[in-house]
Amino acid sequence: MKTFEELDIRKDLSYSKTHEWAKKAGSVVCVGVDDYAQSALGDIVYVELPSVGAAVNAGAAFGSLESTKAVSDLNSPVTGKVTKVNDALADAPELVNSSPYEEGWMVEIEAEGGAEFDALLKSDAYAEYVKTLDASH
Amino acid sequence: MLNKTALNSVHRELGGQLTDFGGWEMPLWYPTGGVKEHLYVIEKSGVFDIGHMSVVRVRGRDTYGLLQLCLTRNIEKLAVGSCGYSVILNEEGHVVDDTIVYNMGGDDANREYILVVNAGMGSVVAEHLTKHNTFKNVTIRDDAGNFGKIDLQGPSSVSIVKKLLAKGKGSVEGLKYFKFLGDYADKNSPVRLPGDVPILLSRTGYTGEVGFEILTPPDKTLAVWNMILETGGDEVIPCGLAARDSLRAGAMLPLSHQDIGHWPFVNTPWFFALPLDKEGKLTKSFIGAGLYENSPSQYTLPFCGFDPRKVETDNAVALLDGEKIGVVPTCVIDMAIGRSGGRIYSIASPDKPEGFHARGLVCGFIRVDRPVAPGAKVTLKDARRSIEVEVVADIRPARTARINI
Repeated sequence: MKTFEELDIRKDLSYSKTHEWAKKAGSVVCVGVDDYAQSALGDIVYVELPSVGAAVNAGAAFGSLESTKAVSDLNSPVTGKVTKVNDALADAPELVNSSPYEEGWMVEIEAEGGAEFDALLKSDAYAEYVKTLDASH
Repeated sequence: MLNKTALNSVHRELGGQLTDFGGWEMPLWYPTGGVKEHLYVIEKSGVFDIGHMSVVRVRGRDTYGLLQLCLTRNIEKLAVGSCGYSVILNEEGHVVDDTIVYNMGGDDANREYILVVNAGMGSVVAEHLTKHNTFKNVTIRDDAGNFGKIDLQGPSSVSIVKKLLAKGKGSVEGLKYFKFLGDYADKNSPVRLPGDVPILLSRTGYTGEVGFEILTPPDKTLAVWNMILETGGDEVIPCGLAARDSLRAGAMLPLSHQDIGHWPFVNTPWFFALPLDKEGKLTKSFIGAGLYENSPSQYTLPFCGFDPRKVETDNAVALLDGEKIGVVPTCVIDMAIGRSGGRIYSIASPDKPEGFHARGLVCGFIRVDRPVAPGAKVTLKDARRSIEVEVVADIRPARTARINI
């Protein structure tokens, strides 16, 4: 997997400790997994996502990522309702590896309130957190 | 502290994702990724560091007698230059380890066989043989530290090996499946690589694809690895243990201590390791044979699912019509296969449908308490999910392991 120096941690995103990124536009939060997660998991071969309209809860699984080695939960950074799902991942799950922040996005969620989003880690704090994980390798 | 093979620094330089495998630090995959590595072995070729395996050399007048007692395979017809798959059982018929046994030949007083066994099993198997050695003229040696092992697997492996050999090129022509040439420990080996490197070149492997297992002197392993990559060019990439695991599962080969192990070796897809005649009767007596007088109701069966979703083997159970019937020792994804019209196709299937795109299928083995016929659906359930899979007679079609070369 990538070293800390090689990781792409985007300034304009917020992050969970379980390595989901989130970006807010109005009350809609777009969610994916970050460069650390895709690099640690290896090749993603299947993405299991909820349907549009599904209710999701902050910190709870809303889907899963299948890598060649393991299955990992996708945890929702916020509570709300899924309004959009990235259907392209059904045919091309490898987009999560090649473009985790753009083409590899997963769901858009109409969030209930903004407090959960605000509680997510900002990029600097997330980078510090990832550094501690990196050092433990 | 993990054991390291002679190629450990190569794995690091290549950016391999390293893991603890049986006490050895080995690459799971390289930056290329496990998916591409798996597909490359089917379409071109892959090179694997298998230096974590063990080798036991058994020599002397009574070697044949000892191995007939300790191996399930009847080696009566295993000619010099041939090798075969066998398991080694304890008195209860449980698996100590599995092995490829090589008949190295030699005159009567110096008859020699080599057993290639699994990581960390050299001393265990050597001790097991020693414990059961009631014969006089046998020496049993765990050859740890005296060899390197590299597997070159996939259709391009044949031309790469032919290009590579400095001596013995002609004898590779027509070399059949489970035949081998040379000895890594004999400097006059009839197969040698440039620089006078003696090797044991075996037409075997653990991927289901045509290829070779290469045993080298330990100090030449790195040179051999580099030679293979240089000679192979675009036709070969380094592959890690994840691809090895998914390739072998799709080829229906067992992983020792996972699919076979400390439980009875009965009713498995690997019955060919047993000395059975056409009527299914044992052709020799051996340690563990008592198991077959009264076999327990236990069946290891291959399965294949309908998409890539896996269950976690450490907590998964197999259910038939809602009733728990067993466990799931192996559950991986073969990325080269997919389903169309009720059939499994591989990217290598000559009759694959137009526009076939393999998205990968979950596959592996279940160990259950009753026979389940191919075609029957079984549910695999772990803490996260339930998936439906089908018990099958075969997993990845169009494998090349047995082709003529």
